[in-house]
Amino acid sequence: MATLARTGRSLNSVAGFVLRTTVPRLSAIALLHKTQDRRICNSALKICTLNISKPFTFSQLRWYAGKAPLTLETVQKRVELVLKLYDKINPEKLSLDSHFMNDLGLDSLDQVEIIMAIEDEFGFEIPDADSERLMRPRDIVQYIADKEDVFE
Amino acid sequence: MAAPMRQTVLSLYKSLLKESAKITDYNFRLYALRRTKDAFKENKNVSDPTRIKALIQKAQENLEVVKRQAIVSQLYGSTKVVIESKT
Repeated sequence: MATLARTGRSLNSVAGFVLRTTVPRLSAIALLHKTQDRRICNSALKICTLNISKPFTFSQLRWYAGKAPLTLETVQKRVELVLKLYDKINPEKLSLDSHFMNDLGLDSLDQVEIIMAIEDEFGFEIPDADSERLMRPRDIVQYIADKEDVFE
Repeated sequence: MAAPMRQTVLSLYKSLLKESAKITDYNFRLYALRRTKDAFKENKNVSDPTRIKALIQKAQENLEVVKRQAIVSQLYGSTKVVIESKT
């Protein structure tokens, strides 16, 4: 009876950590075969049905080797943050369509520094030929979205 | 400034900053970054082609120096300065 209780407990803990609803179902079947006690089987099945009836919600918290999925919104927010933190840009004047040279009064050297900051933020290299064209925050967002396959 | 020269200068600036950032010692790293930015900004209005060529030459030589120093500093390592610690 003690072992039965233990299996019941371990089943509970499995049910607590469920990643897929099939996991407790399989172990419940295993338990059915192993034991003759109807009460425990019934309670095990109840655990299963409870989990199955619940809508399966699952959000991943850690991204070990991969990165969190990007959306156009997050890309835009991160680009804006990088630009706001750049000391030569006045955060109040910054908008998505402001031109780095014409509107914000930067020169081509500053633009190179901005592109380097963006490279650091998103973790990939932007070739010189492409970086010349990136003159507005909107261009940068669009470019990153293209490179990282982010769609609406 | 001729278009290809502008390209060279900007890519030199980028590689100098990138290589400078690789130096492990805090003081040398920040010096290299600061010196690169200052030197390029100091000479950004130079229009004489021969002078620009000489400056590009100088930047290329210094890029080699920075590259070598970055590798040497990585080989021998350095202790972190107090302001670099996270806490």
